[in-house]
Amino acid sequence: MLQRFLDPSVLASISSLDLVARTVVDGFVAGLHRSPDFGFSQEFAEYQAYTPGDDLRHIDWNVYARSERLYLKRFRGETNSLLTILLDASNSMQFGSHRVNKMDYARYLTASLFYLAVHGQRDAAGLITFDDEIRNYIRPSTRQGQLHRLLAGLEHAEPRARTDFAKPMRYFQEFLKRRGMVIIVSDFWESPETLIPSIEPLRYHGNEVILFHVLDPEDVRPKLTGPSILVDLETRTELEVTPDYTKKEYRDKIQAHLTNLRDRTQGAGMGYFLLMTDRPLDAALREYLSLRGARK
Amino acid sequence: MGFFSPWFLAGLAGLALPLYLHLLKRQTMKPKEVSSLMFFESRTQASTRHRRLRYFLLLSLRLLLLLLLILAFANPFVNRDTATLASQRLVLLVVDNSFSMRAGTRLADAKTAALGVLGDKGAARGQVAAFGSQLRLMTQPIEDQSALRSAVIAIQPGDGHGNFGELARAVRAMAEAVHTPIEFHLFSDMQRTQLAGNFSDMALPANVKLITHAVVAKAQPNWTVESVDAPGQVWGKDAKPVHVQAVIAGYGTPAANRTVSLVVSDKTIATKTVAVPANGRATVDFPALEVPYGFSRCEVKIDSADGFPADDLRRFAVQRSDPQKALLIHNYGDNRSPLYVGAALSAAAQSAFILESISVNEAADRKPSNYAFIVLSDVSSVPSLLEHSLIEYVRSGGSLLIAAGTSAGSRTRIPIFDGRVVETRDYNRVPDRYMAVGSSDSSYAAVARADSWRGVKFFYAIDVDPGDARVIVRLGDQTPLLLEKRLGEGRVLLLTSGLDNLTNDFPLHPAFVPFIEQTARYLAGSERQGGAHPVDAYLDLRTAREQGQGVEITDPEGKRPLTLAEAAKAQTFQLTEAGYYQLRLANGRQNEVGVNPDPKESNLDVIPDDVVALWQGTGGEGAKEAAAAPGGPAPSRKTPESIWWYVMLLVLASAVAESVLASRYLGTQREDS
Repeated sequence: MLQRFLDPSVLASISSLDLVARTVVDGFVAGLHRSPDFGFSQEFAEYQAYTPGDDLRHIDWNVYARSERLYLKRFRGETNSLLTILLDASNSMQFGSHRVNKMDYARYLTASLFYLAVHGQRDAAGLITFDDEIRNYIRPSTRQGQLHRLLAGLEHAEPRARTDFAKPMRYFQEFLKRRGMVIIVSDFWESPETLIPSIEPLRYHGNEVILFHVLDPEDVRPKLTGPSILVDLETRTELEVTPDYTKKEYRDKIQAHLTNLRDRTQGAGMGYFLLMTDRPLDAALREYLSLRGARK
Repeated sequence: MGFFSPWFLAGLAGLALPLYLHLLKRQTMKPKEVSSLMFFESRTQASTRHRRLRYFLLLSLRLLLLLLLILAFANPFVNRDTATLASQRLVLLVVDNSFSMRAGTRLADAKTAALGVLGDKGAARGQVAAFGSQLRLMTQPIEDQSALRSAVIAIQPGDGHGNFGELARAVRAMAEAVHTPIEFHLFSDMQRTQLAGNFSDMALPANVKLITHAVVAKAQPNWTVESVDAPGQVWGKDAKPVHVQAVIAGYGTPAANRTVSLVVSDKTIATKTVAVPANGRATVDFPALEVPYGFSRCEVKIDSADGFPADDLRRFAVQRSDPQKALLIHNYGDNRSPLYVGAALSAAAQSAFILESISVNEAADRKPSNYAFIVLSDVSSVPSLLEHSLIEYVRSGGSLLIAAGTSAGSRTRIPIFDGRVVETRDYNRVPDRYMAVGSSDSSYAAVARADSWRGVKFFYAIDVDPGDARVIVRLGDQTPLLLEKRLGEGRVLLLTSGLDNLTNDFPLHPAFVPFIEQTARYLAGSERQGGAHPVDAYLDLRTAREQGQGVEITDPEGKRPLTLAEAAKAQTFQLTEAGYYQLRLANGRQNEVGVNPDPKESNLDVIPDDVVALWQGTGGEGAKEAAAAPGGPAPSRKTPESIWWYVMLLVLASAVAESVLASRYLGTQREDS
C-alpha cells in the first residue's frame, strides 16, 4: 500500500500538489517503524542543565521546586531546523520518457519534503528556484501559511532556460545566512569538476548540503530503434547518434559520471542521493529524515 | 513479348508508392529530445551511409516485387514459333459418345476418323477422351501411338446427353494446366441440342485450336417415345385401373401412323396405332395397366422405322404393394373429420393408405409405430400417456398431422407440436366474415399441387407462435395456418384450423383432396418408389429413417457399381446408363427404377456450319485455316504463350527476399540484456 501511494505514476493523477505531499508523507509515516531517530510530537527528550542565556520559558519549575536546580526540559519537537531547497527549473528537467517527467518528480519530492518539514517537524522551510539565475525565492519561515506559499512557488516553477550553477550560487550565499539544511534538487548535467566548486561554499556556514540527483530512466539507458537525431533540450543542439553507441559507450560514460559525482560530493562533505523518476519517493524522504536526525 | 491484359500496366503508377514511402521515411526521421547531449557523440557519417545502403536495397526489392505483380496481372506472353513447338503440342482427341451417337454407324465413323487423325499426327503428344454428359479422359498426354489407338477403339457408346458448354469448360480447365498449345479434335454428330444455352460458355482459350470432325452432314428424321406418364406405385389388389399416357414425337419426320405397344415384363399387353403429325407429337393413352405384386418392368415402344432404334422405347417400373395404414384420432362424437379425410384419401387415384379412425378414448391401446402417419383432429384433451407415446413415435421418425380447431382454442399450448397459442381468430366478426390464404410456400408439394388453397374460406384459426417451426401457409392477416416442425427424426405438421368443415370450407373445396393426398405421401415418406428417371439423374438411396442401413445397387448390366464403403455411406447414386436399376436396403426395402436417355438426344438436327465456324473462331488464331485443312501439317506461325506463372514465381521469390531483408533491417531492435 505504501509503495503504491509513493509511486510517481500514481501521484501524477493527483492534481493538487498539497494533496500529493500529504499523500506521500502520510503514507510514508504510516509505514515507518517506531525509531529513536525519528520523533514528531511534543515528546519529552531529556533534561539539560541551565546555562545562562537559555530561554527561561523552558525551565522545569517543578524540578527546581524539588531540587533547587535549574533544568531545561527538552522536547524532540522543539529542535527546530532550517530547510532550504534549491530547485533546478531548467529546460532539461522537463524531459520524461514516461508519465512523470523530472520536473514533476522534483515537484512531488520537494512538496513532500516541505510537508514533512513544516507539518511534521515544525521546521522553517524555504525555496529557491533557479536555472541560469535565481527565479524565485521564498524565505524560510515557520509562519502560518508558509506551506501554501512554498507549494504555490513550486506550482509556478516551470522549466525554462538552461542550468548554470556558478552564477546563481554566488547569490545563494546572501540568502543562506542562518545555519540549516540545504537540499539541491537537479539533474546535474554538469561535470563534477565544475559543479562541486560551485556549490561547496554553501557548506561554509555550517549548512548540511545534500544533492538529490533526479534522472529519468532514459537518461541512463536511452532507447533508440535506429540512427536518430537527438536534440539537447537546453541548448537545442542536434546530434546524430547510432543505437550501438547508446548501448555501450554512452552507458559507460554516464555510469562513470554518476560515480564520479557521488564520490566527489561525498568527498566534499555533502550528501548525494540518486533518484530515478520511476522509483517511489520514500527513499528520498528517508534520506532527509536520517540527515535531520543526525543534526540534532 | 506482349500482354494479354495490357490495361493492368496502369498499375505501374503504383510504383510511386514505395518510392514515396521511402523518401518520406528518410525525410521524416523525427528528432528525439534528450535532457543533455553531454555524453553523446556524433556518429553521423557512419550511420547515414549504413542506412542509405540498407534502404536502397530494400526499396529496389519492393519496387521489383510490385513491378512483377503488375506484370503478372497484365498476363505477358511471348510469341513462339509453332514449328518449334510441334514436339510440345498436345493433340486432344475427343470422341462424342452421347446417346445420339448410337444412331446408325455414327460412333464407329467417329472412331475411324479419330484413328485417321492419329495416323496423320505422327509422333505428336496425344490424349484421348470420350464425351457423353461429361468429359472422360481415356489416357494421359502420351506419345505412344498404339496406346492412343487402343483408347480410341475402347470408347463405348453411352447414354448421356452432351453439352458443348460443359465440354468447353473442361477443355478450358485442361488448357490452364497444360501450357503448350492444344490441338483439339472433336469427333461428333454435332447435334444442335448439344449447344450451350449461352454461346460464350463454349468459348475456348487462346492456346486451344478447335477442329471439328462431323460424322453426319445433315439432320435425319427420327421418331421417339418422348415421355411416359405412369405411376410408380399401385396399391392393393383392388386398386383402381391405372392410366399410362405416352407422348410420341417426330423430329424432321413426315406425318405417319406409328404402332405403340405397352410392354410389361417383356410381354406386350396393349398395342395402339397413333397418327403422328409431320414433325409433331401425338399422345397415346393406355387406360388400364395391370401389374402383379412386386416390381414390374414396363416399357412403351414404337415400331422401328428410322435409323435410330435405340430411342424407340421408354422404360418405367411399377410396384404393386399393400396400402399402408394411417390413423386418425378425433374427439368422441366428431364424425365429420374422419369422413372428409377418409373420403379425400380414397378419392385419390393412387391412394396408398387405409385410414383407421378412432376416438381419443380408444387411442391409448394403439401402437403408433404400426401406422405410416397419424392425424390428430382437433382433440380437446390428449391423455398424457397418448401424448408421450406420440412424442416418442415422432422422435423415432414418425409423422403427425395436427389439426387445431375450436377445441384447441381453450388451451395455452398445442401438445406434441409444443407451440404457444397466442390468441384465437374468429373471422365471423371481420367484414367479409372469413379470411383467405395470404401467402404460401410454393416449394411445398402439398400446397403447390392444391393450387395454393386459392378460394378456401377460413372462419376460425388459432394464432400459434411459430418459434423455430417452418411456416408454410399464412392467412391474409399473417396468422400462420400450416406449420412444420422437426422433432427428433420425425416431423409434425400443424394446421391451425379444423378438418371438420366447421371452422373453414376446406374439406368441401377441390384443393382438399390433393392436399390430403400429398400430405399423406409426404408424411409417410413414400414418394420415391418406382417410376422413371433420366440418365445422369441422382437416386436417393436412403430416407431419414434409413441412415446407417447398407444398400445394394444392381445396374442394367447386372453389376454392382457401389464399393463397400459407398454402399455403407453414400446418400445418392448417379444413374449413368439407360435400363433398369435395382436398389435393396438391409431393412428389406426394395426399389426399382427405369432409366431413360434424355429426350433431347432424339432430335438429330445438326448445328449449322456457320455456328460451328464461329465456335472454331473462338480458339487460337488460325483456327479457321486449320479447320479448312484438318489433319494437314501445321503451318509455321507465331503462337503467343502466356508466361504469367513464371512471373508469379519471381513474385514469390522477391516477396521472400523482401521479408527477410525487411525483418533484418526494420525489425524491432532488442535491448541487450
